[in-house]
Amino acid sequence: MNLEDIIQETNTHYCLECGKCTSVCPVAKYDPSFSPRRMIENALLGFEDELTFNQKLFSCLTCYTCSLRCPSDVDFPVFIQKARGIAQNNGQHGICAHAGQLQSLARLMASPEIKQSRLEWLKGIDGSALYRISDTSDVLFWVGCAPYFEPIFEDIEFSALDITKASLKILNLLGIEPKLLPNEKCCGHDALWTGDIVTFKKLAEYNAAQIKEAGIKKIVFSCPEGYRTFKLDYPNYVDLGCEVQHISEFLAEKIEKDGLKFKEIEKKVTYQDPCRLGRHLGVYDAPRKVLESIPGIELVEMPYIKEESICCGTSAWTNCDSCSNMIRMQRLSEAKATGAETLITSCPKCQTHFRCAMVDKGDLKRSMPEIEVMDLVSLVANAMGD
Amino acid sequence: MNGENGHNSILVVGGGIAGIQASLDLANMGFKVYLVEKTPSIGGRMSQLDKTFPTNDCAMCILAPKMIEASQHSNIELLTYSELKEVSGEVGNFQVKVEKKATYVDWDKCTGCGLCTEGCPVVIPDEFNRGLGKRKAIFMLYPQAVPKKCVIDKREDRPCKAACMDACPAHTNVPGYIKLIAEGQFKEAYKLIRETNPFPASVGRVCYAPCEQACNRGQIDESMAIRDLKRVPAEQWNIVELEVPTIVKTDKKVVIVGAGPAGLTAANDLALKGHNVTVFEALPEPGGMLRVGIPEYRLPKQILRKEINYIQKLGVEIKTGIQVGKDITLQELRKDYDAIFIGIGAHGGMKLGVEGEETPGVIEGVRFLRDVNLGTKVEIGKKVAVIGGGNTAIDCARTARRLGAEDATIIYRRSRTEMPAAEEEIAAAEEEGIKIEFLTNPTRFLSQNEKLAKIECIKMQLGEPDASGRPRPVPIKDSEFTIPMDTVIAALGQATETEFVKELEVSLSKKGTVEIDTKTGATNIEGVFSGGDVVTGPAFVINAVAAGKTAARSIDRYLKGESIEVAVEEKEPEKFSEKEMDDRKKRFPAAKRIKMREEPVAQRVKDFREAAPGYSLEEAVEEASRCLAGQIEGCIECHECERRCDANAIVYTMKGKDIKINVGAIIVATGLDFYDISGLEEYGYGKIKNVITAIEYERLTAASGPTVGSLDRPSDGKIPHNIAFIQCVGSRDFRYQPYCSSVCCMHATKEAMMAYEHEPGTKSTVFYMDMRAVGKRFQEYIARAKKDYNVAYIRGRPGRIEVNPENDNPIIWYEDTTTSEIKKFEAEIVVLAQAMIPQINKELAKILGIELDENGFVKIPDNLSQPLDTTKPGIFACGYVHSPRDIPDSVTQASGAAGRAAEALTGGS
Repeated sequence: MNLEDIIQETNTHYCLECGKCTSVCPVAKYDPSFSPRRMIENALLGFEDELTFNQKLFSCLTCYTCSLRCPSDVDFPVFIQKARGIAQNNGQHGICAHAGQLQSLARLMASPEIKQSRLEWLKGIDGSALYRISDTSDVLFWVGCAPYFEPIFEDIEFSALDITKASLKILNLLGIEPKLLPNEKCCGHDALWTGDIVTFKKLAEYNAAQIKEAGIKKIVFSCPEGYRTFKLDYPNYVDLGCEVQHISEFLAEKIEKDGLKFKEIEKKVTYQDPCRLGRHLGVYDAPRKVLESIPGIELVEMPYIKEESICCGTSAWTNCDSCSNMIRMQRLSEAKATGAETLITSCPKCQTHFRCAMVDKGDLKRSMPEIEVMDLVSLVANAMGD
Repeated sequence: MNGENGHNSILVVGGGIAGIQASLDLANMGFKVYLVEKTPSIGGRMSQLDKTFPTNDCAMCILAPKMIEASQHSNIELLTYSELKEVSGEVGNFQVKVEKKATYVDWDKCTGCGLCTEGCPVVIPDEFNRGLGKRKAIFMLYPQAVPKKCVIDKREDRPCKAACMDACPAHTNVPGYIKLIAEGQFKEAYKLIRETNPFPASVGRVCYAPCEQACNRGQIDESMAIRDLKRVPAEQWNIVELEVPTIVKTDKKVVIVGAGPAGLTAANDLALKGHNVTVFEALPEPGGMLRVGIPEYRLPKQILRKEINYIQKLGVEIKTGIQVGKDITLQELRKDYDAIFIGIGAHGGMKLGVEGEETPGVIEGVRFLRDVNLGTKVEIGKKVAVIGGGNTAIDCARTARRLGAEDATIIYRRSRTEMPAAEEEIAAAEEEGIKIEFLTNPTRFLSQNEKLAKIECIKMQLGEPDASGRPRPVPIKDSEFTIPMDTVIAALGQATETEFVKELEVSLSKKGTVEIDTKTGATNIEGVFSGGDVVTGPAFVINAVAAGKTAARSIDRYLKGESIEVAVEEKEPEKFSEKEMDDRKKRFPAAKRIKMREEPVAQRVKDFREAAPGYSLEEAVEEASRCLAGQIEGCIECHECERRCDANAIVYTMKGKDIKINVGAIIVATGLDFYDISGLEEYGYGKIKNVITAIEYERLTAASGPTVGSLDRPSDGKIPHNIAFIQCVGSRDFRYQPYCSSVCCMHATKEAMMAYEHEPGTKSTVFYMDMRAVGKRFQEYIARAKKDYNVAYIRGRPGRIEVNPENDNPIIWYEDTTTSEIKKFEAEIVVLAQAMIPQINKELAKILGIELDENGFVKIPDNLSQPLDTTKPGIFACGYVHSPRDIPDSVTQASGAAGRAAEALTGGS
């Protein structure tokens, strides 16, 4: 896709150059050299290289804060996504965090030969199955990157698999034995958003084929990035033929329709809306409904929530820098100021980034506010049985 | 000048500046114009503006002459407070139906004096002032309204019968003052009660409250605590600070004999009418029985004193310690004064007629209370008996208890059922440990060492009813018994002491009370009036107040040489029917009456502190909110306006009516409305106090606005000196209104200039996308704003407003797009250029048979050669409803539309 097409597709030509996008941009707030308005201006003026050879192209969080305020309906995150496609063709790919191993994993999985042993964690020490899964079920639980995250984030004491396990526990307790794909591939979210369309398409096709073959009718996600990708991006490339749902929506439905009740947990919590679940998909109320349904949970909101929520600071493992840490510090300070003991989120990446900020503290070695960070499903699993 | 079909008339819809201009042009050409306007006044949006750009002329100064010309033009018929209902036919011959809404005020009689509005208890956010101020249910749209008439905002019928008002001898506006309390308008409530009763705080403590027995709410659960609420307003502010109204003095002199509730009420009313009033009072303190008859614990003297002080502030002279008939004769008074009111009350005691009554230790009740109240030392023993069953007996017993009587007993000859004292007073006495011996009567007082030692009593039984209708108590033979007793207080009743009036040959009844015509308060002697206990014998305070009012009205009329006979309609308090009760029970949830707090018995009997400290503010508001009359929006039909309207213009039963007219052409000039910007959460309108809209700003700076032109910011009323204006709020925005509202760049500049003119030195900052100064002298106007008015323009559309919690200042986040810097800007107030939308909806368009465009403006099919023609021949559009435009453009278009309409009527195409 050339720049002119991107401009047309994302309504960029309607830009009034009013600067509203930049005035609300969390990156621009801490990095004066980053300006969504000027990136658009460069595109409109035809300065393609200024746009695509600039490292800042990969600093955008694609968090949609700008677009929700744009009076001209410019889809800036998609503009960025597509512009990164041009950049990738030019050999530009931003600064990859964690030595690029997460990007490599995605590309590796795009290879048809690769064989994964990705469900070992399902067994206990004695080899017995910890959770009930069913090969014949038409409900699929999407495991996502969690098993690969395990060794990478050991140092920040983050286990993404705990979220996966909590999800399976919840499903089992609700009488659901889901299917897990033994050769599930990366959903391709990060590849897509860094402009690696080739890899993304391959991954989408492999996954769609597996899902079709298994006769899946519904996929449940605990990760909002996978959910967004399946819900909004896959339909542009492949036909899935099944329903997708985030586990918070699934739980909210159970509470509403089936009167699902929880055990009491005394805790004051605050909630971080993940960009993908919130601004991308408009799911603001379901996680809150779940939290409010747990007896003893007191939800205290931060000043910026829902549409105005602030991103965790990095997207697609790219351009994680001191500005990212500043954003995290702002958000963690807001969470701390509510007086909550725990910051609940429903995205494993939010958790990674907040935990990392509290351990690493960045180049500036500033004092980072400390608060327990926990996924919504982990809390729910605790409220649902022993 | 008739058209093809014989019609020479034209309908103009919308009475704003465009509609007025079109009407005037057509009227001056000789056409008959019907100008329909849905609000009660013509003037439209322009009347809400403070100034106009680019000349900074006062909007009203430009508009008012045109409004007046339109209202006085013989060819223009104003149909205000009217709406278009039907249009049929075609160019040259339209049949139009217009609904004239009920104003509930007869406009042929209304003089626009505004007296009604002042008294109205219903306070509603004022739409004209964009909700920044309040208006009443009866109101004039704005001070310069044309026509200058009031309307009543009556939305539904009052859900109760207001039986309280009919039951009250003074016809106090109970639903009115309770509504005001419910809305926290305490000063207004006090003033409203004072209209009919100059003693709200005092009567609010001691009234026997016949209103509460009549209260319709009482029929569905519990009656309103009307009396307890009445005292609340007086406690929320210092009533002595109540301003004195402007009084036009007369040269008439009135003398009031007796400074009790009747006399002082008459004095109050007559002083307000401008007469010179002097009150003579025999006792050392004014207040009558309120002062000397009612104990401190029921009515603190300080409170009564304040209410009397205010009557004195009205110019009433009170001379105490002068007994008329002894210190000065009535004859002398008659010579010196133009009228006399006798209100001396009934302060004489009554004899028991029992053997030993003269024994020391036997005291007369009225005298006992008077002495205690005036601070005279009164000796009583440990064992005290009070003879009698009225409120005075209870007051004596409870007072005796507070003076140290360990054993206080009331001796009453009938049973509890017949006891005339108020039930709650009896209960309070019993709580305080006072015993009551029913069916007992004293027969002898026995003394020892010339001091009372014992009383001999006899048991009674009830016999046939006597003259009072109560069963006559009959002694039971040989049932005498004696009780040891130190003190006896005889509280049998009070007598009038009226010997002195014979001097003027004022006629007296056999009982010695003054005889009057109860409708007027007049005695048989010209110029001499009377009322209160001296007429009725011992009765209630509120009856004395009512009598004082009646007499004052008559005296005023007498002094003016008018007939004192006035037809006054007395209506019996009405009850709900069964059906109405069922309906009200369904409509209004049951709510218990809130009990007033009382001091604990053990403490309160130790001294004379007020036994019931009254409601807290919250309790009062909650109790007041139970009133059925106040459950509706708009007019509650309390008749206060009717009472005040000298022109008799109030017609509660008025109905709207449809009128049919034939016209040859129609001009649509319905103007603009404001787009609801609460969806633009980034600016926090409605949530952040110091973020307002431009039209609100206009109302704040307008001299006729809610702050009389003072730019008080909402959070703390401070005048801001650092103002930010944000442009394009909802305009030029795909999510809301995609078009440019066309006038905001200029009105923001004007408003910034006005801020500087109000407060020189004020800094204004306008956040804009691009300045649209497309008009004659507009660019120069902006240059002048920068140069002379300290106005800065920043190119950038802010994305977020935060609040500085320390001072409530809004903080604006923006990108200066000329430098690419992201910055914060703290202002003291933020003014949003709210998008404007055409004021026409699909229904109105359908009635007219015209089409609207994608943004809701009137569709103009041929914008180049017929720019004022709608999709229907014979119907033309001008002003903002046509397309976004400023005032001069609207006026120009209006003249154009008038020309097109005239052309259509005279056979042009």
